[in-house]
Amino acid sequence: MNSLYSRLRGTAVWRSVFRSGTGDTNLHRSLTVQQNIFLHLASVKIRRRALEFGVTWYLGTLSMASFVILVVTGVLLMLYYHPSVPQAYADMKDLQFVVSAGVFLRNLHRWAAHAMVVLVFAHMFKVFYRGAYRPPREFNWVVGVMLLLLTLFLSYTGYLLPWDQLAFWAITVGSNIISAVPAMGAKIRFLMLGGHTVNANALLRFYVLHCVILPLIAAVFLAVHFWRIRKDGGLYTGDKPRE
Amino acid sequence: MVDCIRGTSPVSEPKDFRASFDSDSQRTPVRVAFVTRRTTPHVTKAGDDRVMTNPDALLRVAVAVMALLIVLVVVSLLFDAPLEGLANPLQTPNPAKAPWYFLGLQELLHYFPPVVAGVVIPSLVVLALVVIPYFNVNVEAEGFWNRNGERKSILVWVAVAALSAFLVWFSVYAVLVPTLVSGGALIVTAAAPPQDKGFGGWLRSKPLPFWIMTWFLVVAITLTVIGTCFRGAGWSWVWPWGEL
Amino acid sequence: MSFRVRGRRVRKWFFGDSARAFGTLGVLLLALLAIVPAKDRFREWLGYQKEYEILIRGRTDGVALAKRFQSGVQQIWLPERDVTDRCMTCHTRLKETSLAGVGQPFRPHPPIPHSLTEFGCTICHRGQGVATTVEEAHRSTKAWEEPILPAQYSEAGCGQCHRDGLKGTPQLNAGRVLLARYGCVNCHRLVSPEGGASQGTDRPPSLKRIAEKTTREWIYFWIKDPQAWAATATMPNFGLSDADARDVSAFVISQSSPGSIAPAVATNDAGAAAGAELYGESFCASCHAMQNAAGKITGGDLAPDLTRVGSKVRPEWLAAWVKNPAAYLPGTMMPHFRFDEKQIGLLVSYLGRKQDSYFPANIRLEPATAAQIAHGQKLVLEKGCAACHEMNGVARPDNFAPDLTAVGSLPPARVLLAPGVPRTLPDYLAAKIREPHAFGREMKMPRNQFTDAQVEQLVTALLAQTSRSQTFPAALRRPTPVNVTYQPAGRAGQLMKDLRCLSCHSINGTGGSMAPDLTWEGSSVQRAWLLDFLKNPNTLRPVLIRRMPRFNLSNDDASTLADYIMTAYQTPAFDREEVDATKLTPTEASRGKSLFYGKYACNSCHIVDPDNDKGYIGPTLTQAGTRLNAPWIFHWLKNAQALRPGSLELNWNMNDEDAWAITAFLMQQKNTRKPGGER
Repeated sequence: MNSLYSRLRGTAVWRSVFRSGTGDTNLHRSLTVQQNIFLHLASVKIRRRALEFGVTWYLGTLSMASFVILVVTGVLLMLYYHPSVPQAYADMKDLQFVVSAGVFLRNLHRWAAHAMVVLVFAHMFKVFYRGAYRPPREFNWVVGVMLLLLTLFLSYTGYLLPWDQLAFWAITVGSNIISAVPAMGAKIRFLMLGGHTVNANALLRFYVLHCVILPLIAAVFLAVHFWRIRKDGGLYTGDKPRE
Repeated sequence: MVDCIRGTSPVSEPKDFRASFDSDSQRTPVRVAFVTRRTTPHVTKAGDDRVMTNPDALLRVAVAVMALLIVLVVVSLLFDAPLEGLANPLQTPNPAKAPWYFLGLQELLHYFPPVVAGVVIPSLVVLALVVIPYFNVNVEAEGFWNRNGERKSILVWVAVAALSAFLVWFSVYAVLVPTLVSGGALIVTAAAPPQDKGFGGWLRSKPLPFWIMTWFLVVAITLTVIGTCFRGAGWSWVWPWGEL
Repeated sequence: MSFRVRGRRVRKWFFGDSARAFGTLGVLLLALLAIVPAKDRFREWLGYQKEYEILIRGRTDGVALAKRFQSGVQQIWLPERDVTDRCMTCHTRLKETSLAGVGQPFRPHPPIPHSLTEFGCTICHRGQGVATTVEEAHRSTKAWEEPILPAQYSEAGCGQCHRDGLKGTPQLNAGRVLLARYGCVNCHRLVSPEGGASQGTDRPPSLKRIAEKTTREWIYFWIKDPQAWAATATMPNFGLSDADARDVSAFVISQSSPGSIAPAVATNDAGAAAGAELYGESFCASCHAMQNAAGKITGGDLAPDLTRVGSKVRPEWLAAWVKNPAAYLPGTMMPHFRFDEKQIGLLVSYLGRKQDSYFPANIRLEPATAAQIAHGQKLVLEKGCAACHEMNGVARPDNFAPDLTAVGSLPPARVLLAPGVPRTLPDYLAAKIREPHAFGREMKMPRNQFTDAQVEQLVTALLAQTSRSQTFPAALRRPTPVNVTYQPAGRAGQLMKDLRCLSCHSINGTGGSMAPDLTWEGSSVQRAWLLDFLKNPNTLRPVLIRRMPRFNLSNDDASTLADYIMTAYQTPAFDREEVDATKLTPTEASRGKSLFYGKYACNSCHIVDPDNDKGYIGPTLTQAGTRLNAPWIFHWLKNAQALRPGSLELNWNMNDEDAWAITAFLMQQKNTRKPGGER
């Protein structure tokens, strides 16, 4: 089994894709991380203590995981969804009653979205209480706050998309708060909704924000966030040395 | 901090000394730990205690992700996402509620004018979060009551009383209660013996930012829970388990 | 090995290190994900389709049924009507009439004139069309507020478009009649999509001169419980307390304008006996009911019950009324009988003795105080009395009660709750009609004593008032036939109005349904007979009790009327004078006779020979020769419905020779004797 695996890793095709080569030395292990576009944001080595559950509760990891789940389920949902009135609502019904595993897909997206909001908040508080925000990690904390806001915006824009009573009135209430901004509140609200009320324009606008603009911005911020973990000295493991 | 000791920075003047960090590695190329008068440089372990990212970290991450996925899949199989009737601008549900994470704000709207609750407070919260690492860096993370206990206790009393008076004035009892609880806890811990190994001692070792953040967290959770579960038609108080 | 140790080993095997935990959780996750397609596999509708396949497998026509069966989700999609109905996914073969005995969901749909694919299911039946689960499709949920219409109210679905009184929807039609007859629409607005608000047919009397007519004691008794006075009363019960009824009666009397008191009429017992005879001869019972000695109520229901009329009305008012009803109530349906003073005296003597001993003995009211009158007025305003009755000093309230135009679409969330009443719209409506105060004592709506069947009819009519019905395209709607009110003109017209001919007869689509349609009467009858009939009517149909009253017309009036009818009411289809004498020969007549008794067996319904014939359904034809015109008989035999729509006469499709032969036979019938030897 193992020899088959190593032989496979030795083939020309495999080596053309993964540059780490055969062998189980630390060099090879380092190369898998270093030579991988997705993993190279992380350092090759990591403090043993940073892997302990109690230190981070893996909240950042789990936040990222829910983001990935949301991207995957979200893209699948886009296959069934029209951002128009009232077809959007009819699509919800189709997902529920006709599409294979449609309900499951929607459930997973919805609950993962709630989970992400909770996890990101929890991540923030955990980082604060550990003191992990302090210099030299102060800028990464700011990036984190931006990611928290992005998470909220993503969730909020997605909330309107089913176009049911719950969605419509939640967005109406939320957008009414914005119009309280002095001087330009009404303008901002108009810009956000594409009209004076929550209507088909708002649905389209929220759809584009939810599916394209905000995820792209979030992806950029996430990349910076991970990169800065490494550049700011790795995961913060606390003041006290291990016994 | 200690695991950063690597260089041989001389600690010549271990007297009154302000410690500070700088994230600009070009200006301060070496990260330094400072040994003050009150601590002894007792190094138990130095140097690297590191493991390979691949496979140690990657496997653990994979396990964590999988655990989350399992939880989400189980929840998705058991509970259906809510879906109500087609959006109808003419039929306002009572109450019309924002998504749960904004219900704390919506609850505040009940007490303050929209400009305050909807714009000023959230902006201040975001601003406060952003400036936390730049402002009042308590590097030593010194316990709040460790020094100048008497003077601080007067300040705390005055601050809590003023805040409470303000909240009573606007009848914001939903914020008043958590404020009194966390303020009360702060005052009570002043009395805890410094060497207490239990919860009291643990609390006593916490610096001021801990207390402020905890107050904010408790207030946010209280407001959100009230907005989610205890508000009914016309934003009136209802019990989630129905009338008794 | 202890349990604990084994447990620790097991845990170590599964979660000993990251790699093992990864493997364990991976397998667990895959197993959970496998549930997702499994859940799809066990969807409800798939189970029903499988059940259907098993059902048809055992049948002799199974192959044909299987060929027509389509598996998978089936839907009717009509975007322009907002219909996406997937009902046929489970209700697989709605068109398979051979499955008639099979239970739901496979029972075939009863035959209807609409195509299922043209209208879908939910337009009529409600329910959530897109749903493919039993619960979501049929019941009210957060996402769907229109649950399936219970089967007993199915006609409400038809009523959304059909306001033309379909034959197949008796319950709906009856409900609509009740809404108008019991004055529901006097308080509640009920607007049709064409724009007109429904009008009541109960004609509540004006109370502006009520003091002339009756006493305060009677009003007190009546408003406390109208049905206790007359079971046929359409006025509802307001549940007034004794004090409230006292005050309302005080106000009603006090607002009445002082009228001219007619001189008292002398009455006597001898007159009462003769009055009873006159009452019978004048066929008052055609419209009025009265309790006879055996306690049975006999007579028509077009006008008030007269059993205890002597306790109700003042004799002087009665005299004035009988003399000319329109003088007191211009809109009345009662004809102006030309009674002379003596006859009036007889009738008043007779009717004045129709009294109730309970009433004067048990009700004593002290003279009303100003405070009582004021309180009575307040109650009259509160209860909305003026929505039905005209009164002095009280304006008719607008929108007194909730608008019922779209009550059939009332969302369940807005349905009120009462103990013991399921929270569904039909149950709510039924409970509200049955006992309005079940939803709170403060409810203003009064109570009518409806039977269960009537309640069901009313609920059906109300459920048809959906908001969707207001937005259907005009091409789909079948509005109420527009009533062009016909009013005969000239002096004869005045006379016909005075006699209230249209209370019973209808002409050109206007009028009552008790007596024959007179639209083509001029083509039908001969003038001499008509003149005689107007002066001394007798029934033509042996089975009918109701007969045309005698109006005591003067010769002049009768001939004016006859002339008018003969000239104005002629059909354009033929000329009544145009008779080909060669067709009406005695030979033809005898051939007609054999056809009458033989081929067409007309004698099953009609009488020609009063001694032997036993046909009691159609009109007697003993005097057809003096009564009818030959061309009328001929065309009648050819196609009676063309002359009088809705006639019971069969459509014979008779050839011309036979029709003329029978006409010749009938024109010979000039017998003046009636069956049974009478007159």
